[in-house]
Amino acid sequence: MTSLRPNRVLVTGVSNPLGAEVARRLAPHVPHLFGCDVADPISALEEMDFVHADTRHAAIGKLVRQMHIDTVVHLAVMVDSPHDERSIHETDVIGTMNVLVGCSAPTSRVRRLVVKSSQAIYGAGPTDPSFFSEDMTSVERPASSITRDLLDMEQLVSEFALRNESCRVSVLRLGFRVSEDTTLARYLSLPIVPTFAGFDPRLQLLHEDDAADAIVRAVLGEHPGVFNVGAKGVVLLSQAIAIMGGQPAPILPPYGHWIARLALRAMTRVDVQTHLADVIAFGSVMDCSRLETEFGWSPVHTSRAVMDGLARGKDLEVIEAPSPPQEYELQVYLQRRRREARNSHRTAPILEAHG
Amino acid sequence: MIQAKSPKQRRKDSKPAEIVQAQSGIQLPKRVRRLQRQAPLLALQGLSELSVRLRQLTGHDVIDVNRIMEVVRFLYSQQELARRGANYAVDDFGFDPQWTESLLSVFMVLYRDYWRVETTGVENVPATGRALLVANHAGVLPWDGTMIKTAVFAEHSHPRHVRALVASLVMGMPVLSWFLRRTGQTVGHPDDTRRLLERDEVVLVFPEGVRGTGKNFKDRYRLGRFGRGGFVATAIRSRAPIIPVSVVGSEEIYPMVADIAPVAKFFGLPYFPITPFWPWLGPLGMIPLPSKWRIQFHAPIRVEEHPPEAADDQNLVMALADEVRDVIQQGIYDNLKLRRGVFL
Repeated sequence: MTSLRPNRVLVTGVSNPLGAEVARRLAPHVPHLFGCDVADPISALEEMDFVHADTRHAAIGKLVRQMHIDTVVHLAVMVDSPHDERSIHETDVIGTMNVLVGCSAPTSRVRRLVVKSSQAIYGAGPTDPSFFSEDMTSVERPASSITRDLLDMEQLVSEFALRNESCRVSVLRLGFRVSEDTTLARYLSLPIVPTFAGFDPRLQLLHEDDAADAIVRAVLGEHPGVFNVGAKGVVLLSQAIAIMGGQPAPILPPYGHWIARLALRAMTRVDVQTHLADVIAFGSVMDCSRLETEFGWSPVHTSRAVMDGLARGKDLEVIEAPSPPQEYELQVYLQRRRREARNSHRTAPILEAHG
Repeated sequence: MIQAKSPKQRRKDSKPAEIVQAQSGIQLPKRVRRLQRQAPLLALQGLSELSVRLRQLTGHDVIDVNRIMEVVRFLYSQQELARRGANYAVDDFGFDPQWTESLLSVFMVLYRDYWRVETTGVENVPATGRALLVANHAGVLPWDGTMIKTAVFAEHSHPRHVRALVASLVMGMPVLSWFLRRTGQTVGHPDDTRRLLERDEVVLVFPEGVRGTGKNFKDRYRLGRFGRGGFVATAIRSRAPIIPVSVVGSEEIYPMVADIAPVAKFFGLPYFPITPFWPWLGPLGMIPLPSKWRIQFHAPIRVEEHPPEAADDQNLVMALADEVRDVIQQGIYDNLKLRRGVFL
């Protein structure tokens, strides 16, 4: 087993804020960085070559092979997104399958794969233990669609890891994040927050910085396996609302969460997904001891600090809001692309095929 | 329509983490404010003088100042809780010690005056380190758990919070799940038991579970099956001593004469009790009867002397579970003999 430094790295889903942050942090450490997404990148990165590619199409496998990628960072996994269930399923399951097909080809050089998963894989219910460790994903329970998709996805990834022993696969189950654009943050920042009557669950949050840091460490380090990535400590829902300066209103009926979801949407225009409604009712906390012992790192910010940070608006500085690329950066980027299109015989055809 | 606030507005509205002194709008004169501050103290002084006078006059305590002080302490602790706002920390299980201790006075009234609990052997609970309390479960609602918790916190030389394990079914119920988590209880899952013991907590389990609480009145003080001995295996793995606890009196708080299973099934409850007062008297039927209670903590059973691999030895585990069950059953008989009557 060779312990090579990652040389040619592909980051999928690079246009979401987390992907952009990961690419920005990876850029000084890897010689060749490629990013792909369906949307335009939110900020141009000089060191990164951006490719318009959709993981839902089999072309992504061709991209991985032809670009001689040796490390894939698969972040094109949607968890908290306004898209409908079907397109989330397409992206999460079919997209991951296509990426894995690209990595498992006999000519493939992929030696390292980092997949972003989510705490949503555990679901949340009253019968669950207080802490989820990595082996506690239950398939029997009727779960939300996102939980099912994530379970399917991780199943594919673990099968891939079994079949390709030369490839080190790390799956990071990231905790719920409350940066500006997440549903949970929008819910918590309501002035009057409708909560489930008679429930005050524990919330475990993850700072955006820590999420990006964990992924970068997984790419640069040697940590195969599945890891829970969540902050230390918990905050109660009522406590989180109080930190945000809101007023909890225990008015949602505790039984039949779909009624509560409809009521929430009608009252506040915040569309809380099924898995999030369960979290708001019953809470979900991960056990991150494996991260600490095997990964040798644990998140810097506690759940309380994440909440305080959101309340003070500090997260705005960490992940920038989507902005068009700066004029200078754009010029540099286009120049670089043109130069490579002239010199290189590999990247150009793919660009034309999917441009 | 509740609109989401803009980040700017939210930053403006958010409270800083420090305790801030509230500024009242109207400023009263200085003398009035001083009097306002001193009023509670002056009232207490007056009351204590009055109680001394009355004792001198009548020869016995008419006003119990200690009781009044307890009420005052309760009110102050509630005020303190209201003042802390969001500046508190719960442990990973959602346990809030300050909040729990503020409710102690309420449970002390039940403990001392209502059920007149007599506790023996509380010194068997270690002052530090882990231990697994195993008790019999009775009464339709789990009041026995609250009384064991109160006993250890109020009577032990080293007050400790007992962390009880609750049926997962209860954790799905509104209000109850919130209250139980806040006061340090958690789901009865082997993983949770292990984690609590590894944090050197005192953990309370009721191996009978809902079969114990849903017992018919004619079966009172007859222990049910002790599960599959899972608590013994967990104790051996976590190297925690088992302390059997016998509770007498909890069986009589709601004499359950029948269980209407179809109604229970409809509401998703483990049982639907019929007592002489419930459901005929409505909410009044939920008031427990004032039986006389006795709680005995037995000498610890040193299961931690077995190696951790012994937890897989089903023979040993079942033998130990039976031993614990016998100790508890014997303790129940002993305490029933010591009790003069059901309500005395």
